[in-house]
Amino acid sequence: MNTPHYGFPEYIKEILTGSKSLVIGLWITLKRLFTRIVTVQYPRQKLTMTPNFRGHIEAIRFDDTKTHHCVACGLCARICPSHVIKVQGEKVRAGALKYGNRYYIDFSKCSLCGLCVDLCPEQTLKFSNEYELVYYSRWDTVIDIMGRLEKSR
Amino acid sequence: MAGLVGLLILAAIVPLNVAFLVLVERKVAGHIQLRPGPMEVGPHGILQTLIDAVKLLGKEMVTPQSTDKLLFFLAPIIIVVPAFVGFVPIPFSPMMQIREVNVGILLIFAFSSISVISILMAGWASNNKYSLIGAIRSVAQNVAYEIPLLLATMSVIIMTNTFKMGEIVQAQSPVWFIFYQPIAAIIFFIATTAETNRAPFDLVEAESELVSGFHTEYTGMRFSLFFLAEYTNMVIAAAMFTVLFLGGWHGPVFPGMIWFLIKTYFLIFVVMWARWTYPRIRFDQLMNFAWKVLIPIALVNLLITAIVLKVI
Repeated sequence: MNTPHYGFPEYIKEILTGSKSLVIGLWITLKRLFTRIVTVQYPRQKLTMTPNFRGHIEAIRFDDTKTHHCVACGLCARICPSHVIKVQGEKVRAGALKYGNRYYIDFSKCSLCGLCVDLCPEQTLKFSNEYELVYYSRWDTVIDIMGRLEKSR
Repeated sequence: MAGLVGLLILAAIVPLNVAFLVLVERKVAGHIQLRPGPMEVGPHGILQTLIDAVKLLGKEMVTPQSTDKLLFFLAPIIIVVPAFVGFVPIPFSPMMQIREVNVGILLIFAFSSISVISILMAGWASNNKYSLIGAIRSVAQNVAYEIPLLLATMSVIIMTNTFKMGEIVQAQSPVWFIFYQPIAAIIFFIATTAETNRAPFDLVEAESELVSGFHTEYTGMRFSLFFLAEYTNMVIAAAMFTVLFLGGWHGPVFPGMIWFLIKTYFLIFVVMWARWTYPRIRFDQLMNFAWKVLIPIALVNLLITAIVLKVI
């Protein structure tokens, strides 16, 4: 029926090869049964993020100033394709460098392209490891970068 | 009196055993797929199925409008009967047997075919094309697989000259029949897997094509009665395999009851293990396998057994 040459030897051979492959399949699942499980019980256990994980951006704390190096140049706000960055700076005294003291991003519109991180002339931006992105309101998605840096101190 | 006590014990043990087996099934499935299975209710999820049973008890029993009301109502009741009756002739140990029946094996076969009628009733009464397809498949499958099942059993009956389950166990005191009849044992195992509608022969409930087969329309406790029957049939099939081929209660050190339960639950584990290993086979493959492979081999095996024992 299947092939012109399907006779009794082929019938026996099919049964034997079929049985062999069934046993191989059982052996594979038996090995899996005693392998260590990979599921993480999420709220109780958490994974550490890999270094190349892209969360929202955050400011880097440097050892020399004990804070960020942001000079509020505004390049990140200009390059941002989604216009989600708002940065403000102030001069503490006349002639001093500008110092960024307010930095907000609207994360609900951020596309995580990373242009701000690449562009920053002071290299004070990086991607955070934040992945628990649940908010009660749209306004909660506005992230206060400088506030986070203060809080993490 | 002893029979009544036995039936009461059965009525308590069967549902608890099903709850335990469902949990074991989910744990085995989980660990084969490298996940832990139920973990939330109780330590390592051991109370999960009890909670599920309570949930099912609390659910409304919906009867869809265009069903055949009487058959729809009767089907889940009828399917439980063979699940309970099947335990009656099974000898758990020389002393632990509800009733030694002269035709014990035939009794189990006779009642287990009633469950097919119940499945057909459920599928027909549901007035649902998927249920009906599942039910029709169940009938075709069970008719096909009862033949190799009975032929494999006959090979053992020829060796023992009795249908009494207790005497069959006593007959394999030095050597288990699985060593005399390995081919019959394999055929029996495959055929009972198909008879109890377990994967890879679960075309009856094939959830990827038939929603849930014959019990699609059932809710609440009626649905769980089908579930109860499926798992209890699995226990009966494993217990029959133990009686026919694995020497029943025979074994060193432990008392007979313990050995019987170890063998039975190991077989149930093998069935679960096979379920999570093999994909569901196609319907024409299922039929070809029964008629072209199992039945000829079972017949030849029976013929050789008969010639060796009765002629020579």
